[in-house]
Amino acid sequence: MLTDDELQRYSRQIGPGVLSRQGQERLRESSVLVTRAGGMGGPAALALTTAGVGRIVLAHGGRMITPDLNRQILGSEATVGEFRAPHFADYLRSMNRYVEVEPLDHEPDDDEALEIAARVDAVLSCPPTFDERLRLSRAAVDTSTPLIDAAQWGMMGTLIVVDPSRTACLRCVYPQEPPFEELFPVVGAISAAIGSLAALEAIKILSGCGEPIFGKMLMYDGFRGRASQIDLRRDPQCPVCGDAR
Amino acid sequence: MPLTIRLTISGRSYDAAEGVPRELQLGDGTTVDDALAELAGQLKNGSVLPDTCLVALGGAHLGTIAEHEPRSLRDGDELVIIAPVAGG
Ligand SMILES: [Zn+2]
Repeated sequence: MLTDDELQRYSRQIGPGVLSRQGQERLRESSVLVTRAGGMGGPAALALTTAGVGRIVLAHGGRMITPDLNRQILGSEATVGEFRAPHFADYLRSMNRYVEVEPLDHEPDDDEALEIAARVDAVLSCPPTFDERLRLSRAAVDTSTPLIDAAQWGMMGTLIVVDPSRTACLRCVYPQEPPFEELFPVVGAISAAIGSLAALEAIKILSGCGEPIFGKMLMYDGFRGRASQIDLRRDPQCPVCGDAR
Repeated sequence: MPLTIRLTISGRSYDAAEGVPRELQLGDGTTVDDALAELAGQLKNGSVLPDTCLVALGGAHLGTIAEHEPRSLRDGDELVIIAPVAGG
């Protein structure tokens, strides 16, 4: 049961076209893994926190650096040089007393990704490498946990929402690991937009309210101001989610 | 009868796709492979789109440039090519 204080806090998001009261309660009983908490994962984690998700596991290694500041909303100039995860967790806790935040000061390896995916209700994947993204996708499929993959480059971004065993996993979309660059260009406005949309997909999945875009890729090209939605093809031969695995 | 398709190229391909027209005029019976070959000839300075690019036609995912379902094109189709992105 939501307390009177919680009902007041969430009053603007309970009602027609938003969440039902039961949906808000389901959100409070839910947990999400967010990795990593950068330009997309940061805004996503903040949106999940203010929306009232019960527990957030926040994985991000290393210390904050000055180039983070063009998109990092969980840190500030004052926190440059500090370890990211514990500081970001403190900030999220300060935004909503009803949300538990579990910081992880590193990115999960295969075993840990599997262990965490098994104990959360959704995985929100925002890492800067395909290696990590494909790892989280495998963990999500193996544990039947819904996956939201948010990615960006420059002023464009993509969002892929996976219902494991039913819709295309990341390996179906990227059968060969694509090349990537470590120092990808990024404008904070697009990473925040894609991160917020990823959080919205998680909120719909967890609350049972609204229509998640399972099986689709949403692409927004902010450089040209164009959006596309693509129905993703699940590969029955996929070594991760296919029928023969 | 010639046909016209719309072209959307996005992802890590802005340099390569710069100057490529938003529409391609192609001959009757043209396939997705024909369109990709035509497009490859229009990329600036001989640059190439990665084999891992996602290819979609009319909102349906066909695969990657390296491996995709064969399809014939119809007048007005939109061909979308997205060079994969992984920025976090
Ligand atoms: Zn798959």
